[in-house]
Formats: sequence, structure tokens, C-alpha cells
Amino acid sequence: MPLYDSASSSAGSCSGSSSSSKPPPPPLPLQQDIDGLLAVAGYKIRSSELQQVAQRIERLETAMGNSPADFSQLASDAILYNPSDLAAWVDSLLSEFVQPPTCSSEFIPGPVNNGSTTAESHTPPVQQNITYEQRTLDNQLTVVTATEEDSGIRLVHMLMTCAECVQRGDFSLASSLINDMQGLLARVNTVCGIGKVAGHFIDALSRRIFRGIGGGSVGGGGYAFESEILYHHFYEACPYLKFAHFTANQAILEAFDGHDCVHVVDFNLMHGLQWPALIQALALRPGGPPLLRLTGIGPPSPDGRDSLREIGLRLAEWARSVNVRFAFRGVAASRLEDVKPWMLQVNPKEAVAVNSIMQLHRLLGPDPVRNSPIETVLNWIKDLNPKILTVVEQEANHNQPSFLDRFTEALYYYSTMFDSLEACRVQPEKALAEIYIQKEIGNVVSCEGSARVERHEPLAKWRRRLSGAGFRPSPLGSNAFKQASMLLTLFSAEGYSVEESEGCLTLGWHSRPLIAASAWQAVAEAGSSAACVG
Amino acid sequence: MARSNEVNLNECKMVVPLNTWVLISNFKLAYNLLRRPDGTFNRHLAEFLDRKVPANATPVDGVFSFDVLIDRGTSLLTRIYRPVTAEEPLPDVAELEKPVTAEVVPVIIFFHGGSFAHSSANSAIYDTLCRRLVGLCKAVVVSVNYRRAPENRYPCAYDDGWTALKWVNSRPWLQSRKDSKVHIYLAGDSSGGNIVHHVALRAIESGIDVLGNILLNPMFGGEERTESEHNLDGKYFVTLRDRDWYWRAYLPEGEDRDHHACNPFGPNGRSVEGIKFPKSLVVVAGLDLIQDWQLAYVEGLKKAGQEVKLLYMEQATIGFYLLPNNNHFHAVMDEISRFVGSDC
Repeated sequence: MPLYDSASSSAGSCSGSSSSSKPPPPPLPLQQDIDGLLAVAGYKIRSSELQQVAQRIERLETAMGNSPADFSQLASDAILYNPSDLAAWVDSLLSEFVQPPTCSSEFIPGPVNNGSTTAESHTPPVQQNITYEQRTLDNQLTVVTATEEDSGIRLVHMLMTCAECVQRGDFSLASSLINDMQGLLARVNTVCGIGKVAGHFIDALSRRIFRGIGGGSVGGGGYAFESEILYHHFYEACPYLKFAHFTANQAILEAFDGHDCVHVVDFNLMHGLQWPALIQALALRPGGPPLLRLTGIGPPSPDGRDSLREIGLRLAEWARSVNVRFAFRGVAASRLEDVKPWMLQVNPKEAVAVNSIMQLHRLLGPDPVRNSPIETVLNWIKDLNPKILTVVEQEANHNQPSFLDRFTEALYYYSTMFDSLEACRVQPEKALAEIYIQKEIGNVVSCEGSARVERHEPLAKWRRRLSGAGFRPSPLGSNAFKQASMLLTLFSAEGYSVEESEGCLTLGWHSRPLIAASAWQAVAEAGSSAACVG
Repeated sequence: MARSNEVNLNECKMVVPLNTWVLISNFKLAYNLLRRPDGTFNRHLAEFLDRKVPANATPVDGVFSFDVLIDRGTSLLTRIYRPVTAEEPLPDVAELEKPVTAEVVPVIIFFHGGSFAHSSANSAIYDTLCRRLVGLCKAVVVSVNYRRAPENRYPCAYDDGWTALKWVNSRPWLQSRKDSKVHIYLAGDSSGGNIVHHVALRAIESGIDVLGNILLNPMFGGEERTESEHNLDGKYFVTLRDRDWYWRAYLPEGEDRDHHACNPFGPNGRSVEGIKFPKSLVVVAGLDLIQDWQLAYVEGLKKAGQEVKLLYMEQATIGFYLLPNNNHFHAVMDEISRFVGSDC
């Protein structure tokens, strides 16, 4: 059993080193005549377009030669998108620099609003047909080893062996390994890295072995009041959720530009932490705020309270204080797939934004069946004809069929995440955030079937899934990138990094992305009644 | 003015393949956006534009990689590239740092280019180059994500190189079986080549053995304006103005280009005569405007009685080693392979 998930799209490995003096083997046959060498360097461009793009670069260079100092200034103000799409990128620079830019205004913490005309010309040509398989993106497993103690390495080895036993069904060996590991844990550096998180994995494995995969109360199915508290502390202790909210709000704000009636559908309201900032940004936009409706989805409150409504009231007060006309509606549902579009009461005249922060993966059921929950939900989202669909997901491959593969991936993912949490010095935020993460680990490792809801998939898979469901990417630009980076320096320690990946943004710890944010628009179908107006 | 610009651009296009021209021109364009006249650097935009790739512990073409944080204080990351061996075609995930098994395994510490300000160890172009070096030299490659200018001036890049060298030298799992020592080579392009020289100096002072230096289009300079700078200014992607900007960004404030970091054998240079300096392989591109400084570096080594081989690639421009689509590329790769292989 190979240790790594050999997903069908991977290039497959060839062992043995390549010979020195021969040129390397030709790259994978790529769709639509993409230049293979430039693709490896991170740029997608068709060979047939090279000449044209070269000419446009020359034009740019000549224009730059005439007024060089202006360019770096303009670069600071302009919003640039998707540098991998070389042809579109050069075109956007040409339209930005060779034609006079429209005036831009900057809000804090809002986005740079360049006016709709320039924004439109920035949108890269719809090239979603080019599905270049970046083979290094699948099967990524970046390891940041912070401790080199032999015991730490031994512990990892034992965890892997134990997981392998569990996969094989050898529970007696597995349980004796659990005992050994608990002993070893006492001697390992548990301050950071693998040592820290090993304990949680030992617990999760132990639960799987001794209690079976029904999982007890580890996050299966519904949410609980305590989940909200833990979520809030996770929000405070590290930047992942702030980044998610911030980036999604940026995209929503831009999508709502020019619309007077807007409606945000939030797939998981929690304490509504994302929305005060958006409300404020809308209040400050030139031309004044729109009428904002927010529909918040969340679990029914266990004790008869209407917690959704309470949050809604608080947000309404905030909106009132900044003069934004605001209406709130709560939709209580135990599972996202129980929500039906009519419950959202979307008005055809309003601009809709659908916001999903770490919710879509919960719809990936155990069996890839037709009309699986994810398909159903993506279809009705599309039918709403939203101006934007914002998606934030954990950047991990925790939904692989093989338990051992999932376990391995989770071990490295969560140890990196725990490592990043070390930067937080505030208690009890940090401790509660750790419990939040622990529950996720528990679900990934010790649950199965419908109880396992933490079915994280990497960005590459979400891209394919969303494109297949009739959405096209709406690239997040350099302004979102810059402001996300600035947010990091304000709130967090060194070591976090924001990266741009073909129009999406990821936040990670050192070089390992841990959370990915992307934005999408429904592709209008010919003759569809859902064609958008204005 | 526009007319002579046209001539330049046409000449340039004739000496490199079209995709190389597009790649390097795109860098040039992007870099122009990032350098501000006041000496500051648009770091956010730089990171946004840089095409990066993650490490990959699954072997691709016989090479796998993983990242290691070797100094928490400075967040110094290195990306380590290893070849798969016949006995273990898939690396054991728990033991990415498994001991090397061959009698002699060269370990190449690589410093990426970018004129001290651009790029990272996980930039796509450098990830590709490092992977190539693994197969070529049957080596382990350690690519150092050193701190960059202008936020981090001299000597930060050298300090990080030195930290990496000490770290590599002290890894038991990198020791060759033959003599239980780590067989270290230093390699780098552009600013990375400059770092190679200075880290080698520190190695000697501290008694760490470096078996060889590989400098690809190394970045050197000086106050004087040389003939090549005059003749080639602006002709092949690079201008004197941008070279000056990068030195101002890297060197300590108030220092000029005769500082020994920039001009190692100049008026403030340090002689390497009589010391056990590693043998050097220096690659100079014939269309690189700073070639006179690179050639002066070679001369400086020779005069000090040090072993140095010069590879002068007449029709090559900067960055020729980034894409395997030209003869210079293959010629240089062969030489590097011989240079590193000669100790086995």
C-alpha cells in the first residue's frame, strides 16, 4: 500500500535519477498548445500566443521607457489579477498603464475601488477550458520539522505504524502501540511541531480503536453551543478565520459595486464575526451604502433560544449605527443540505453573494452518489445567479479513500497548524483554539460514514468540482493579497505567509498553505432565465 | 529615443528563443513595477507576482522535496531536494531525513538569484533548477530562503548562508559513508553567486570544508563603469540603473559599490591568497552587462593562486539556465555535473 494517495491526475513517479547530459523528457502533453517550459515556471500561455504577447510586452516597455517613475507609483495603486495567465496579465498592464487609470479611493480596511469599467477590463478572458494539471499541487506534502529529537521521529513512525494496523484491522497490535506511544510521549518535546500534536492523534486513534467509528460526540452531524465558543477562540488565536472573512468580504464588496439592493447568504453564521467589517465597508463606499440583506444559516438552538435572531439583532444595531439599511433573516437547519433555496427568499432584483466558510466540504458524503448533497447545493446556488460565491476551505487532502493516507496528511497538516498556534501568546484563546482543532482531528481520524464531516479537499479539487458544476473563477487580485498580507503583520507573528495561486489566495505557515480562499461566478447558460441583468 | 529602443528590443529577441524572451521580459516588466525610485520595494506585489510551488514529498522524476525551518529566530527556511534510491523508490514519510546511503553524496547548498531582492527558495523557476541539479549531480540540494533586501541589508543574506552551511555540515544524515563527512558544494546564480563567495570565505575562517563553488552569472560590481556596462546597458534585459538600485538596496546605507560585498577583489577587498579556498566554476554570459566584474573576479582568484574554471558563454543572456531550450544550458549543466562528480 503506497503511503501517498496517487490521485489519478498525478504524473506518477519514476524512480531513478535522470541522466545528466540528455535534455529532460518532454513535459506532459498539455491541453490547447500551452508552452510546456513556461508552464513549469508558473505561467500559462499558448505557444501560438507567444508572438502576440511579446509584441504587447514591447509596447509596454516603450511606454514605460517614457515615464519610468510613474510606473512603480501606478503599481502601488492598481489592482492586478492572476499573474499566471500571462496574456491577460500583460493586457491588464497595458490597459492600466497605457490608458489613463480611473480614480481610485482607498478605505481602511476596505478594498481599492477602481470603478466598474477598469474592473471589467481586468477580468481575464474566460479561459476555464485550460485545465492544466499542476502535478506538484496534488499530493503535496510539505513538512516543516521544527524538532529533531529522535523520540519525536520515533513517535511519528509509531503513529504511522499504528494507523497502518488500524487500516489492516490488526487492533491488538494497534492498541499495544497506543500504550507504547503514551509512554514515549512523556519523553518528547511537546512544545512544538510533531510532539505537540502527537498526543491528539494518539487520542483520536485510541478512540477509533476502542469506541469504534460512530465517533461519540466528536463533531458528527450537528453543531453545539460549545462549538461556537471554540470557533470564536480559534478566530481570536490565529489569523486563519480573519483571513477567510477578510478575503471573502473583499470579493463580495467588489461584486456588489454599483448595486443598490444586495443580499448575502452566509452558510454558517456562528457569531456573525464576518459581517461588521462588510457593513462598515459598505457604509463607506462612494455613492453610499446599498440596502443590505443578510440571511444567516445555522443550527437550531438547543435550549429554545433563537440564537440566529440574537446575532441578527446585534448586526442590525451595528448597521444602524453606521447608517446602513439592513434586514436579517435566520434559517435554522441542522445540516446545510436541509436548506432549500426558497427558504432564503432571494429577490430576483437583488445582487446576491453566497458565502461559504469551511462548509462545502461537509457536503461531500461518504459515497460519490448522483445528486449527492454537494451537487444539489451547488446547483441551487447557481440557480440563485449570485454575483459572487466566496469559498474558503482547509487546504488539505483529508478525504482520501485510504485511512492511512488521510491519517498521514492530517498528521502533517495539523502539526503545521499547531506549530503556527505557538505564535499566539494569549490565553485562554490559545488553549480553546487548540481544543477546536483537536475536535477536527478527532473527526478526521476517528469517524467514518456520515459522522465524518471534516472531509477537506485541496484547492485543486475544489477548482475542478466548481468548474464542473458550472462556475468560473473570479480572481482575487493584488489588492486583496496586499491587504491580507498587511492584516497578517498587524495581527500575527512572523511565519505566516499569503500566497497567490492562479487567482486564489492561500494562507499558510511558512511555506505550507493551510487555508485557501477563492471566489466564483456562475457561468450564464445560453437562453437561461437566470441571465443576470446589469 | 523610441527608435533606438526598437533596435534594442529586436536584437534581444534574436539571441534567445521566444519563450525565454517572454519569460525574462515579463520578469523585467514586473521588477520595474516593484522598484520604487525612493529605494523602497513593493514587497506585497512582489510576493503576489512570484510564481511559487509547494514542496512535494512524492517523487517526481526521481526527486522529492520537503521544507525545513533551520532557524526559528529568523524564520530561515530551506527546501531540501533528494533523489530516490533504487532500494527505496518511495520515501518513508516519517524519515524524510533518512541517512544518505551512497559512498559519496555531494550536498549542494543553493542560493537562488534575484539581485538580493527578488525570488524565494520556493519560486517555480528555482524549484525546477534545484530538481535538475539533483539528477545531474546525484546530489542532495539544500536551497536557502535567505532574507532579502531592501528590508534586510548586508550582511543578512551572508549570515543566513552561513547558518545554512553550519546546519548542513552538522547533519549526520547528510554524511557520506566513505568518510562520515558532509561533502559540501556551494552554488548560486546572480546574487546567489555573490553569496557563494562570501559564505565560502566564512567557511574557511571557521574550518568547514567546502569542496567547490559554482557561480552562475554571479552578481558583482564596483564604482568604476566598465566597458561591458557601457556597451550592453539596456540591451539584453538589464540596465545599469537597475543594477545600481539593487546595490543601494543591499549594501549598508552610505556605502558605495567598492564595498567588499559588491567588489570582493576591489580596493576594499579581501585577498584569498594563501588560504584554502574551494575550487570554483564561474559561468559568465557574454551578453551580461556586468561581465567585466565577473571576469575580474575570475582574474582575482587566479592571481591569488586559486583553482578556477571559467565558462564564458558568448551568446548567452542572463537567465539562460532557467529554461532547457538552448545549447548554453546543456553545456553548462554538463560542466556542473563534471565539476561536482570529480570527487567521487
